[in-house]
Order: sequence, then C-alpha cells, then structure tokens
Amino acid sequence: MPLRFHSLDSDRVVVSNLVGEHLVLARAEFDEVVSAGTPSPETLSTMRARHMIRLPDETLPVELLAMKLRTQKRRLADMTSLHMFVVTLRCEHTCRYCQVSRQGTERGEYDMSQDTAEAALRHVFASPSPQLKIEFQGGESLLNFELIRWIVERAEEINELERRDLAFVIATNLALIDDEMLDFCEAHRIVLSTSLDGPEDLHDHNRRRPGQDSWQRAVDGIERVRDRLGTDYVSALMTTTEESLERPEAIIDSYVDLGLTGIFLRPISPYGFALRLRGGGQYDAKRWLEFYKRGLAHIIELNRAGTPITEIYAAIIAKKMFSNNDPAYVDLTSPAGIGIGGIVYNYDGSIYASDEGRMLAESDDQTFKLGTVDDSWTDIMSSNRLLSPLWESYTLSSPGCDQCAFEPWCGSDPTFHHATMGDFAGHKTFSAFCTRNMGIFTHLVELADSDPYARDLLWTWGQR
Amino acid sequence: MIPLRGRSTTTGWTQPRTDIWQIARPDDPRVSERALLLDDDGRTRDGAGLYISKDQFLSGPGPTVHVPDELGHLAPGDVVVVSDDGTRVNVAWKATATHNSILLTERCDHYCLMCSQPPKDGDDSYLYGRAKRIISALPFAAKAVSLTGGEPTIDPHAFLDLLEHIAATRPNLSTHILSNGRRFSDKAFTTEYASVAIEDMMVGIPLYAADPSLHDYIVQSEDAFNTSVKGILNLVAAGAGVEIRVVIQKANVAQLSELARYITRNLPFVNQVVLMGLEMTGLARPNTDLVWVDPHDYRRELREAYHLLSSAGIYTRIYNHQLCVVDRELWPAAVQSISDWKNDYPDLCQPCSVKDQCSGVFSTSGSRLSPNLRPIVDVEMSS
Ligand code: SF4
Ligand code: SF4
Repeated sequence: MPLRFHSLDSDRVVVSNLVGEHLVLARAEFDEVVSAGTPSPETLSTMRARHMIRLPDETLPVELLAMKLRTQKRRLADMTSLHMFVVTLRCEHTCRYCQVSRQGTERGEYDMSQDTAEAALRHVFASPSPQLKIEFQGGESLLNFELIRWIVERAEEINELERRDLAFVIATNLALIDDEMLDFCEAHRIVLSTSLDGPEDLHDHNRRRPGQDSWQRAVDGIERVRDRLGTDYVSALMTTTEESLERPEAIIDSYVDLGLTGIFLRPISPYGFALRLRGGGQYDAKRWLEFYKRGLAHIIELNRAGTPITEIYAAIIAKKMFSNNDPAYVDLTSPAGIGIGGIVYNYDGSIYASDEGRMLAESDDQTFKLGTVDDSWTDIMSSNRLLSPLWESYTLSSPGCDQCAFEPWCGSDPTFHHATMGDFAGHKTFSAFCTRNMGIFTHLVELADSDPYARDLLWTWGQR
Repeated sequence: MIPLRGRSTTTGWTQPRTDIWQIARPDDPRVSERALLLDDDGRTRDGAGLYISKDQFLSGPGPTVHVPDELGHLAPGDVVVVSDDGTRVNVAWKATATHNSILLTERCDHYCLMCSQPPKDGDDSYLYGRAKRIISALPFAAKAVSLTGGEPTIDPHAFLDLLEHIAATRPNLSTHILSNGRRFSDKAFTTEYASVAIEDMMVGIPLYAADPSLHDYIVQSEDAFNTSVKGILNLVAAGAGVEIRVVIQKANVAQLSELARYITRNLPFVNQVVLMGLEMTGLARPNTDLVWVDPHDYRRELREAYHLLSSAGIYTRIYNHQLCVVDRELWPAAVQSISDWKNDYPDLCQPCSVKDQCSGVFSTSGSRLSPNLRPIVDVEMSS
C-alpha cells in the first residue's frame, strides 16, 4: 500500500501510510522492507496492523484506509466555518510586530459599518457549514464594541431560523474590557482570545501602549474574564520575537502562573510590517525550532511534575499522528484552509481568503482579495482567485510534499509561500514553513519513540 | 459457585407436555403450566404441571422430580430443563444471577486455542428451539440474557427466528450475543439482524490481535480477522451495538497495545471494549502451554492498552481479573464479571479487604490461577 518514509538520523527511519499512521524502524530493518528482503516477523506484523502492507488479495485494509481518509477530510464538504470580522483597524497599542493597526485615528474611517456587517453576515450564513464561528478582530476590536454587539445580536436573530452551531470569539488585548462588555460576553457566551507574550518585561517590550501597562492590563483582564465567565472563556496567544528566543521557559511559566492550561508557541508571521525592520522578525526557522524544542521540553517536564499544560501546536499535530480526527486548524491542512476553512471580512467590506492575505494587502499585494461583501458567496467561492492557490498548493500534487512522509500531518500555506517565494506551492527545500514543520514532525516522532511519558502525553493531547 | 445440573428421580411420572419449566410461586394463576417446589414438609398445592421436591421421599399431588442436594438452591423464578424421562435436571435460568446465558449451538467455525466451550460437530439444531421455549418460560422479572455457543449464528435462520421470538414476546429483555462476528460480514444478514425490534441488543465479537495472521492463528481459522472486522463494520453501519472482546493470552500479550491502537484508529465507534482474563477450561487446558500467562506478569501491558483505549474515548472494561493482580488505577474499570455459578474465591482471599469488589476466580479454572494472588489488607473500599 502507499507508504512514504523519512530518515530521522543515520540509524532510524520513520515510515508513514496514506493517512499518517507511522512506525519508526532501524535503518537496516527498513532496508529489508524496501528491498523485499526478510524483515522480522514483528515488523511485518506491525506494518500490517498499521496498514502499510497487506496480502495481495486482502481488501479490508484498503476499505479501512478509505474510511479513515474520508473521516479526515470530512469537513471539506461543510465549507467555511471560521468567519473573521475586522471590525476596526484602530488600536491603542503600537506593537512592534503589528502588521495592520492604525493609531490615534478617529472613529469612522477605519471602522466597519453596519451595512458592511449586514452584508458580511449574508456570506456567513451562505456557507453551508453546520458550525459557524464568528471571530472579531482588529486593530483592537473592543474599540468598536458597538458593532460587535450589533453583529452578535443580528447573527443570533438570523440563526433562529438557520439553527447552526453558532459561536463567537473576540480577539482583544483586553486593555479596554469593562463590566458592560463582560455582561454582554457572559449573556452571549462569547470567548475572549487575548495576546500574552510572556513575562511582563518581554510583553511590554513587544506590545507598547501609552503607560507601558499592556501586560498588567492583559493579566487583569484574563483574571476578570475567568472570574466572570469561567476558565474556558479565555485563552491567550503568544508571538515569538527575537527577544523571546532565549526565554521559552520564562514565557511558559508566566502562562502557568496565570493558571492558563494551554500555550501556543507560535512563530512570528513574515507579513506586512513585520517583514520590515520595525522589529523582531529577523530570525530564521532554525532558531525558532530551537526555541520550540526547548519550550516543548519544558512543557513535558511541567506535566511530568504534575502541572497540566498543553502545547497547542503539538496537540494539533498529535491529533493527526494518532487519530483520524481533523483538528480543524486552517493553517495546517490540505487543501489549504484559505477561504474554504476560514475567511476574512475586512472593515472596508473587502473579503480576503485569510488573515495573512489581508495583511499582505496592507503592503499593496491584493493577491488574496477575493472580492467584496457585495459579491455573491458563489462568485467568491468559485473564483479563480481562490481556486488557483487552492489547487496549486495542494500537498499531494506539490513537488516535495507528494513524496514527504509527513504529508498527512502537514498542510499547505499558499499565502506564506506566495509572500516569501512568489509562488503558491513554494519550493519546499527553501521554505521556512517546511523547515519549521518538518523540524517539529521529526522532533515529535523522536520524542514519542524515545520517551514513553512524552508518547503518552502526545497521545492524550491527540485524542482530545 | 452454583451447580447447574443434577441427576434426578421421579414419582408418578408421565411424560410432561414440555421440557422447560418455570418454577412458580404457589399463588401463580398459571400454575398449571408451571412447576411448583414442595416446601420442607412436602406441602404444596394442587394443579401444577410439575412438582419439584428437594427430598427423595416427599412427592407432590402430580408428576414429581426429586432433585439432588446440589440443586437445593432452586427457587421460584428459576427455569429448569427436565429430560423426558425425568432423570436429568438442568438449570436454564437462575433468577438471582446477574448473568444468565442460553446455549444456542455447540457448532462453530472457529477453534480458538483457549476456547472454554470447545465446539462439537453433531447436529444440535434442537437447541435453537429449546432456547425459544426457555425465553417463553422466563419469569417476568428477567432483565438480561446472553446468547452463546459455539457460534450462535451458525444457523442464521434459526438465530434470527429466535431473535424475532424475543422481540415478539420480551422486547425489553436486554440481549447480548457472543459471536465471532463472521456471519455479520454478510450485509443482507446484518440488515435483517439490525431490524429486529429488541430494545437493547449488542454483539460481543472477539478480536485478539491487530495483525490478521496472529488473530487467525489464535482462532485457528483462515481469513477470520478480515471477515470479523467486516462484520463489525457492517453492524456499526446498520446502527447495531458492538462490543469488542479481547481475551489476553500468551500469544497476544506483547501486541495488546498495538491492538488497542488499531481499535482507536479503525474501530473507534464500537460501544465498548472488554479486556478479558483467561478461563482455564475447555481447550485452554490441553493448550495451557500455548495460552497461559499470569495476569501479574502483564500488568504493564494491560494498563497501557486500557489507557490507549479509554483516553481515546472508548468505554473500556476489564473482565475476569483479580484485583490483586491489576494496577490499582485500573480497579474502577475491573468488573465482577464471572457468572455466579462458576465464581469462586480461594481460601487465601478470606482476609482480603476488597473481596466484595473483586471478580474472584473461575471455579472452572481449577488450580490454574495466578500464583501471585495476595489478599489486599491495606484498603478500605466503600461498597
Ligand atoms: S511542507 Fe515540507 S513537511 Fe510539509 S508536506 Fe511539504 S515537504 Fe513535507
Ligand atoms: S485476594 Fe482474592 S479477593 Fe482479594 S483481590 Fe486477590 S483474588 Fe480478589
């Protein structure tokens, strides 16, 4: 049956099947397998169990593979579930890595209007997805809370007939949250997603605002939301900058101190302003990988010592390694998640295939602009502006990816490759996306192979 | 342990109209179709279809069977099978037991190394009919039945006919079927099976390894794994309940976690998985060297398989394991699974503080027990 492999080091090889079940073999043993020699009975037995080989007339393994693949790709038929509304570009922060926000401007010019929001909601409900998540972004989204309130109420009104599984998230720095907003969030079960870069000095260095109190306000905000709405209603995201690279443990500990049970060790994105020298983005994927590995090691030790905390990127990949469930993470899926997984309605009514695509537009690259809210859903979804990047970047037909043992766990990121290489598929040998992910995949495989505790932990993360 | 069969004698014998008798209370209005027990002084009432006496000399006012002392436990609500000449009595149903099973056939297309009920080839088709009569004679309070073999589906028509009979007469009787699953690889059969209107019905199907050839070796039958898994898939597709039963033995211990992974990845939709200890009877005895493994020696494998399955959200139970040879964190999943009639506690269990929660051992296993059984004296368990 179809299988692919990748050398871990001189002695070991990881083999994977069509749906991402994998097995680590000693190289000599692997050579026996691929040269039709005499592998050990244990190897043959495991390879049969993991649907890598079969007897010539066996049909069940093929049926099961098909079933697993179908399960993994099931959400494709549902179409877009994540709908991001950029309700304003205004922000009171001047973060060093920020790509889009506008400071000190008056209400109006950079705010989404009610008419635009109404038209965008028509798109949201035109998507056939049974699950709909509306995520409010900025700028600082709370600066246009009036519109958020209107959109939530209007969406709920529409949903009385539509009966979708409708959820709301506000991405916010929490600096401006007040009791009235909390009341509203509580009444409508809105999740708040905030930014927290780590310890106070690091966070405030990255995330500047008048008074230099961004960290304190974020921390207070997290506690307030948790007290009012419960732990499940607040999560934090961190962005890695040059200054973070030496401090993964301190960053993670700052999350633990706040009682947060998940941290997403994210690389900085190479888009928009961050590509310029404004700060923090000038490090390569290799250094980021070192940071990631150190951080993950710390997280595993914390768990081993009884403090449960999940690294969310590893958990997403573990889900693909150890189950057929789709983690529904738009940045690691193939076909890509642009447009068909998540879509962005900008403040001015333009529609982008991804958040990164919107940021590219800020530096005058309109490649991922699919149209405006005045176009029809069908036109947006069937336009070549969306379909070309989707099919050109599809991993099973991308050079490099098609042969890659990690293809079932990986995804395609046409926005990234377009931004960095001018090509939707990208040249994977030189792609930071590929270096980063391949580095993480091999690292996770080696961890699971060498440390039973880490393997059990990854397994557990993968089953959630 | 409760004996289930005995030699009997008769008084006033005329061949009764049926071989299956529910033992009724004296005030039962349908006493003419039922059997009555004589009390210790030989008292009873008139009109019963059959009298059962626990005394060799006291008889009732009609045909009477005198049962031996082993069957002294018989009580109203039980169902017995009485041979035509009245010389043998088998207990088909014990009202107080939590597990009651009905044997549908001794034929089977597997010949598992550790089979506790070794298949026999003769024509035993009368058993399906007898099962129907037992169902008809069940006391009103009967809640659950297990249909066993052999392979219960060996005669598919008789099997479905029996299920239809249960659906028509006792649709609330929770029905568990122990099958090797192969018959269910036939879609038409499975569709018909799934349409039977019994409220709560489940098939328990054995899978012994994720590697087809190892499973086929253990069940001594070619293509068994592939056929049984197809059966499971068909059952799930038809909306029927499925339980996977894994008997842990020498040949599959090392691959237990591989099987657990296989189930989470390929069959995550089954209703439950049961990890079972050996019953050292039937073929397991002559095959002791091929099958026996001390549960104490596979605690790690059991724990790992349990965690793989349950963390993936699959409801997992542990049957036939003595608590003292199972990791304590697994105790909540360890079920008192051994049928009352073959359940025992060796003498060493007397001081054990968890005896009330422990499954004990199979009396049928004889002396083949883990040498590592040790009474637990340091735990107070609330019962
Ligand atoms: S991007 Fe790299 S790691 Fe991912 S599938 Fe392609 S070659 Fe493999
Ligand atoms: S000593 Fe006996 S009762 Fe106690 S756990 Fe062991 S087998 Fe069970």
